[in-house]
Amino acid sequence: MNPAATDTPEVLDEADVRIYEVAVLLPYPMAQKEEHQTIKEIEAIFKEAGAREVSKDVWGQRGLAYEIKGSSEGNFIVYHQEMDPGKIREIDTALRIVPGVLRHIIVKPPKGYKITKYSETYKVWLKERESASEKSKREREEDIQKRIADKAKRQVKREKTAKAEAPVEAVDKEELGKKLDKLISDDSIEI
Amino acid sequence: MAHQQQQKPRRPDLRGRKCDFCEKQTQYMDWKDYPLLKTHVDYFGNVRRRFLSGTCLQHQKMLRLAIERARFMGMLAYRK
Repeated sequence: MNPAATDTPEVLDEADVRIYEVAVLLPYPMAQKEEHQTIKEIEAIFKEAGAREVSKDVWGQRGLAYEIKGSSEGNFIVYHQEMDPGKIREIDTALRIVPGVLRHIIVKPPKGYKITKYSETYKVWLKERESASEKSKREREEDIQKRIADKAKRQVKREKTAKAEAPVEAVDKEELGKKLDKLISDDSIEI
Repeated sequence: MAHQQQQKPRRPDLRGRKCDFCEKQTQYMDWKDYPLLKTHVDYFGNVRRRFLSGTCLQHQKMLRLAIERARFMGMLAYRK
């Protein structure tokens, strides 16, 4: 036997192990016992294949775009498993048989893929989305309030200007009256 | 003259648009990223044309793959 031939399979085993993304869709209104059973079965399949769990992300209740086997809501579970690529087909066939699994998908993410928990990002997005609608409402209300305040200010200004103009006329009359009085009382003027 | 006044204004030239994904230097589009995929799907569930969105062919292919995966898993509709 060639020593190189014996060495290669060991090296290949180490090199070939890579991360796979396995997502499973379960129906949402599901009894707890059934759910536990299905999750146990799924994880048992991974154990049989000798996979190492890197991460597990449970999304929880999610509405589906179309009905799948009569259920319009589902629960996504996304696993990231480090395993031998030769056992992918086994896992795929095994997952197809598991009762209670609506859909499953196995994806090979590219090298340098950062695992992100989309259950959290989705919640953040939902909050931002709500805040965006609230923001638009607030902006509208603020605009209306500003307009009302501006109107009130204008009215006050108009009243002030009207008042300011009125006393000027009164002072003029007083001055005129005083001058007239002076003229009348002045003895130097001979009429 | 009257005929010229009735003509509709020309729509803006879309040829000069740059790909948003190229600017962000995206290497991979995830099928789980619902907020991203939703923006590239119209009301009827069709993928938006790249002529209108301005995405390059490479990224459009990535996007289509992600949308197809999301459709299969029931996140996006095939047809509304």
